[in-house]
Amino acid sequence: MSTLENKAVNPAADSSKFVFVKMDKDRTEHIAAPKYSYWKSVFRQFFSSKVTIATLIVVAAIILLSIFQPMFSGYDPVAHKNINDAATHFITPNFSNIKYWFGTDSLGDSMWDKIWLGSRNSMAIAFIATGITTVLGVIVGAFWGYSKSFDKIMLEVYNVFANVPFTLVVFVLMYILGSGFWQLIFAMSVTSWLNTAYFIRVQVMIIRDREYNLASRCLGTSTWNIIKNNILPYLVSVIVTSVSRDVPSFISLEVFLSWLGIGVGEQVESLGRIISFNTTYMSGTPYLFWIPVAMSAVITVTLYVVGQGLADASDPRTHM
Amino acid sequence: MSEKEKILSASDIVVQFQLRNKMLTAIRHVSLDLYEGETLAIVGESGSGKSVLTKTFTGMLDSNGHIESGTCMFEGKNLYDIKTDAGWEKIRGKKIATVFQDPMTSLNPIIPIGRQITEVIEKHQGKSKEEAKAMAIQLMEEVGIYNAAGRFDEYPFQYSGGMRQRIVIAIALACHPKILICDEPTTALDVTIQAQIIRLIKDLQSQYGYTTIYITHDLGVVANVADRVAVMYAGQIIEYGLVDEVFYDPKHPYTWGLLSSLPQLGIKGSELYAITGTPPSLFDVIKGDAFAPRNPYAMEIDFEEEPPFFKVSDTHYAKTWLLDPRAPKVTPPQQVTTLHERMQEALIKQEKQEGLI
Amino acid sequence: MRKYIWGRILRSIISIFLVTTIAMIMIYTQIPREKIFKNDSTYTKLGGDADAKTEYKYTKWEKLGYLDFVEQKDMCAVYTGSEYNACMEVDSDAVKTIVQDYVNKGYTSAVYTKNGLAYVYKDKPVLNIVWNFYHNMFQLDNPGRVTDPDNPNLERKVYAGKDYAGNFAIMCSGCDHKYLLYFDGSFPWIHQNFIMFSLGTSYPTYDGQLITDVIGTGQGTDVMTQKTFETGQTSKSALLLHSCTYKQTSTLDRLDKNKFNDNYAYCSSQKSDPSMISQSMLFGTLALLIAYVLSIPAGMSMASHKGQLRDKIGTVYINFMIAVPSLAFIFLARVLFSSLFALPDKFSILGAHDVRSYVLPIITLALLDTSSIMLWTRRYMIDQSSADYVKFARAKGLSQREIFTHHIMRNAIIPIAQSLPSNIILTICGAVITETVFAIPGTGKLLPDAIKAYNNQMIVALTLIFTALSIFSVLLGDLLITWLDPRIQLVDKEGGAV
Repeated sequence: MSTLENKAVNPAADSSKFVFVKMDKDRTEHIAAPKYSYWKSVFRQFFSSKVTIATLIVVAAIILLSIFQPMFSGYDPVAHKNINDAATHFITPNFSNIKYWFGTDSLGDSMWDKIWLGSRNSMAIAFIATGITTVLGVIVGAFWGYSKSFDKIMLEVYNVFANVPFTLVVFVLMYILGSGFWQLIFAMSVTSWLNTAYFIRVQVMIIRDREYNLASRCLGTSTWNIIKNNILPYLVSVIVTSVSRDVPSFISLEVFLSWLGIGVGEQVESLGRIISFNTTYMSGTPYLFWIPVAMSAVITVTLYVVGQGLADASDPRTHM
Repeated sequence: MSEKEKILSASDIVVQFQLRNKMLTAIRHVSLDLYEGETLAIVGESGSGKSVLTKTFTGMLDSNGHIESGTCMFEGKNLYDIKTDAGWEKIRGKKIATVFQDPMTSLNPIIPIGRQITEVIEKHQGKSKEEAKAMAIQLMEEVGIYNAAGRFDEYPFQYSGGMRQRIVIAIALACHPKILICDEPTTALDVTIQAQIIRLIKDLQSQYGYTTIYITHDLGVVANVADRVAVMYAGQIIEYGLVDEVFYDPKHPYTWGLLSSLPQLGIKGSELYAITGTPPSLFDVIKGDAFAPRNPYAMEIDFEEEPPFFKVSDTHYAKTWLLDPRAPKVTPPQQVTTLHERMQEALIKQEKQEGLI
Repeated sequence: MRKYIWGRILRSIISIFLVTTIAMIMIYTQIPREKIFKNDSTYTKLGGDADAKTEYKYTKWEKLGYLDFVEQKDMCAVYTGSEYNACMEVDSDAVKTIVQDYVNKGYTSAVYTKNGLAYVYKDKPVLNIVWNFYHNMFQLDNPGRVTDPDNPNLERKVYAGKDYAGNFAIMCSGCDHKYLLYFDGSFPWIHQNFIMFSLGTSYPTYDGQLITDVIGTGQGTDVMTQKTFETGQTSKSALLLHSCTYKQTSTLDRLDKNKFNDNYAYCSSQKSDPSMISQSMLFGTLALLIAYVLSIPAGMSMASHKGQLRDKIGTVYINFMIAVPSLAFIFLARVLFSSLFALPDKFSILGAHDVRSYVLPIITLALLDTSSIMLWTRRYMIDQSSADYVKFARAKGLSQREIFTHHIMRNAIIPIAQSLPSNIILTICGAVITETVFAIPGTGKLLPDAIKAYNNQMIVALTLIFTALSIFSVLLGDLLITWLDPRIQLVDKEGGAV
């Protein structure tokens, strides 16, 4: 073997160094890794991407506008105040008046007003439905994954209903319930929660049997602490991923159902209804059709990007 | 020792890994010579760099790793000059073969066993399908698979763990490589199977004439199979020599610690020994001797200057300041000095038991 | 293994049954009965005649199985001659007693507003409708089925002989169908009519037609070909002679008698366009195929160039497709492609026989599927590349290409098969949207149309069909995996999530 002979060590000067040093216990156990805080890492990871930040700003703007603009706009979707005033119909978008930024439609209603009210309703439906689905799904899923007897029963139920095409069930449900804001939310939640529950169940089963949880249990950690410190951080990422998928998919479904006329119904404004109402104007006054279509796409894509960013950030494996 | 041919000669290797934004130095100036026909054992804790070192011999470093400097001469050429996959294909399997730790996952679960052997033969030796099959079956018999011809078309899940590892060995030897790297080949197996596999590798070595590099953290295995042993710590080789020399006359405090930790040879009535602390982080540049913080025999100079290799004999070298003439004389702990006797006792006891049976 | 398969099939059937039944119960109890008449042109024609409308409604409801309806004239049917006339008087005593009887049995009594005649009705339990549906689903055609008061001497027998083309066939006199078993040149070459599958009758749209006919028979215009009928007449006709069913003697006309020697004169016609279900299947299968052909190589390419430009572009595409509402995407794609490539943006413009009608909808539907396949393929390839057996294969000295083709690809087939069912379901759902937007006459478009028209029977039938398709494709996927993965074949597994 090639050897490294004595390097430049001055024999005389360093004989004094050949004395024993007392072993420092702390030194031996020095862990080089920096201190780790889960939520701080999530925060840091999330804001590290410029794209995510930009999208977040867009999302915030949209949400704020859709909450507040309808409050002050005085727009009533059923009243059609300008229906008899032909001069207000079909005004192409211009910047003269904020109400005309998106133009007006065939009944003289301001598209600007309609879009923000419609967005608010479409998003509200999606968020509430996602909320119900997720809460229900997580609670049931957690029990499902934890308890073996419950698992047996639920698996049978799941196998019966899991493979039924989701869109079609919502269709038929909306038909039965009739159109409306809460009916739509109900139909969407009822068909989705089981899938979320199953998803959570799988994750819980994986984590439950991991050695570090067994170790915690052996050491006498309370169940609540195990859930809080071991399982929850892992589930956060999983839940956020699920939510980030659900919201755009519900918005997409609402748009389609309302476009068909079996969604929110006549009384409620929504993006789907606006698109449906203006489909006939696609060739004549295209802005009436394409603005709500574009809006629905912008909302879903930005929400999805932000959701994905959050999901990635909350996955402990990406923290380094 | 110098009569034997040097089959592989690595010098001053530095290997680094890019992990997110930081650089980890996994191998810090390692040099190694391998002699034809021997069994060299590389011992060390997890993270000492033993696997990484051997991976450089086959170009199997992970994608975020690179060889910063150093050479590895094999068959007159520097292996580290090979930059393409095509170049490495001529070495891997054909000249240098590897046996990995986990036989459960080394084999493709949905391809029949026989096929996984013959594809190597067909590729490297250019044999036809039938010839390859015949050779494969013979190999399977040599590694101890009963009814090899019948089991040729079976799938991995139909084989037990020990048998799968035999197949892995068969695949590795299919092209008569010059060097066989065994990366902890028995760690995932039952103790009883372990002995069989170790025996198998040893027997086949005399038959095929390959040189073995054995990576392990199990000193018992080292004692069983190795001719020479190199002890690694924190990316460096800190002591190397003939097995007898390192076991019965170790010079580095880390080696003392390792040998003292063997529970089988613990002295009855006294506490079991353990090296305190954890290895240092390889992200930082290490000043002085890497083992110093955990070394009960550390001196001031250990924290300032890295020790060079000191010669103990022609074949035995250790990298510790304790061997410097200026250092105070130190006797190794009792577990180390009495090691030889206690091993003899244990052996006699075992033979007695077997003799009585 | 066999037990496992049968268990799965049983479970699938139970699933389909449960879902359809629950849907049926909910539809027939929750949907207001009045709504079904909205799209009935006959009903609207009755205009101001309140009595006629009421009678029409209740008769229809009875036919659909909602209730039992008895009119005064039925109540008085026990009498004859002058007693009958007396009974038919408004508010006659005879009627009053009969009505009281009915009321005691739980019926509701009412009178027509105009002519004052009485009628009673009682709701039937919804399970009655459910029972009828399943009861009528599979029926055996037999010589005793036909009742024709004008043909009392109708021979009732099953016999073998030659059909109109001279081929061997098993025929029947007295059954609904003339030909029970016959052979011809079209797939699957051997056809039968003795087990009849019925999903009910459609109403109010496609009024009176069997739903299976609406979905399964050709559309478009008649295709006339020269035919020789059994009477010897040769003429151009679109009639498909193997499909002929019994026509009541009272309805036979001169044209029928010129063509046929017997009463089997009610035949379906050969149509120019494929049936709704063929349309949707053709369309869906092609779209799915194209989706796979596009996505798998794309996903693989992204995986092997992970982190590089094409991976980034691909990821943007995938995220876009997942997020954007399907409706928005379809409109966008339609406008883009139809202007770029001068393709028709509605199916009906060029019709079923022009290839160009198919291009846009198929590509749009295919693109909708691509995102999930690409995402999955990429993830799978990345996982596999770091698998231990791949490392070992590399250490053996195999080249990247060899590892890819001999090892990774072999393993990839399994999850492809596993994902196939969910992609089929996705395509079914996507087809509903796509067919509606492009106005393609397929089963997908049928559903929203049926919902708008309150065609309960159709909705139930479609629920059954779509659910069955989905559940069986999952079953198919499982069987496929069992066949492809050697680990599962020989190991009998128990339980677990399917």
